[in-house]
Amino acid sequence: MTASNIPRLARGCRLSEDPAQGWVLLIPEGVLRLSGPGPHILQRCDGARNFAGIVRELGVAFAAPDLALVESETAAFLDRLVARRIVVLE
Amino acid sequence: MIPRPQALIAEITHRCPLHCVYCSNPLAMQPRSGEMPADIWARVFREAAELGVLHVHLTGGEPLLHPELQELVRAGRAANLYVNLITSGIGLNEQRLDALIDAGLDHLQLSFQDSEEAPANEIAGARAHARKLALAEILRARRIGFTLNAVVHRQNLDRLDAIVAMAERLGVDRLEIANVQYYGWAIENREKLMPTRRQLDACVAAVRAHQERLKGRMRIDFVPPDYYARYPKACMGGWGQSLLLIDPAGFVLPCHAAGVIPDLIFDNVQSRLLRWIWEESGAFQRFRGEDWMPDPCRTCDRRQEDFGGCRCQAMLLTGNAGATDPVCSLAPGRQLVDAVIERANAAPLNAPAWVYRIDPA
Repeated sequence: MTASNIPRLARGCRLSEDPAQGWVLLIPEGVLRLSGPGPHILQRCDGARNFAGIVRELGVAFAAPDLALVESETAAFLDRLVARRIVVLE
Repeated sequence: MIPRPQALIAEITHRCPLHCVYCSNPLAMQPRSGEMPADIWARVFREAAELGVLHVHLTGGEPLLHPELQELVRAGRAANLYVNLITSGIGLNEQRLDALIDAGLDHLQLSFQDSEEAPANEIAGARAHARKLALAEILRARRIGFTLNAVVHRQNLDRLDAIVAMAERLGVDRLEIANVQYYGWAIENREKLMPTRRQLDACVAAVRAHQERLKGRMRIDFVPPDYYARYPKACMGGWGQSLLLIDPAGFVLPCHAAGVIPDLIFDNVQSRLLRWIWEESGAFQRFRGEDWMPDPCRTCDRRQEDFGGCRCQAMLLTGNAGATDPVCSLAPGRQLVDAVIERANAAPLNAPAWVYRIDPA
């Protein structure tokens, strides 16, 4: 993941909030149950914001003292989803 | 503690323009006159979502033959479900596809019988292959998810590389390579469909190589042929654990094939609440958990991994739905499976004529 990458959910993948089950990422034939910053990251993967912008926004939203940590954890989270073709890069 | 179902398979019609020799529909199908209208399905989708269901798979038969498919898609999405259409594509043009997408369709799974036209049409019993290719070209540019499902077996496994190449050419997101499972019409054609050991080994190696090569570009999911396995599949994630199926007339089953088990009574969503059926009906309780298990399952270390395997397969092969799945190498009935495999590896590649799936009334 690099600063200028623009991530978005792959087609057929959708973030949804279930009243009883919380935030879920619906994918073909499966469900990823999200907790912590997961939904906040994915809500920003809209195909418009780039990775650097997403990290900046998360840093503000969570009042994070260590932006480098936000960046590395967000990158690891998104890289895993890219490898599974749940997130794609523009 | 009763688990929450995750997915609903909605067989909205058993009618189909194709006659695939391995169709998973039951041999005794629901007639058109018994098919439920969209307003009942819409209520069922809401009940399912309240139970915890997140995915609805609209299937058939051919779901495009249901006169209110667009309303069904809309109702599924309105119930906050992920809506998947499992289709042959026959009857779907650009305009109708866009109407379904506008109604909220999330994903479409298009089945292919082969990479070559003649054998594909032979398996389907219909001239379908060229029309599927044309539809796939349209899907390429749409915003919904697109899975190509290829059912593989003795007659087409030698073209596995060509099938993967076709999926790449068509720009699909996900390829499902599923070996035939022997239920429904497939068991009628088992001798002609059962792969040889050589084909299986080649297929497993090829799938692994393609998965590695296409990582991040196209996901490949693989369903192995369980007769060759050492341990049974964790069928449906366990009986009544995560999945339910509703047939065109509203009867609720724990899986596609459960109708083969003679002493089960299936309740209907038109007379019972789905929650009651899931939690309390006899059919869903029958093999839920471990109390039903025979030896060697009841003390087996793997019983929470594979749940004793498939009840329907036990029924079909041993005549007893409560037996250990005979695919298991520890099962008393394993010799039944070995005998089938042995015949498959000894027989020449072409056996008797196909038994084609017929259409319901």
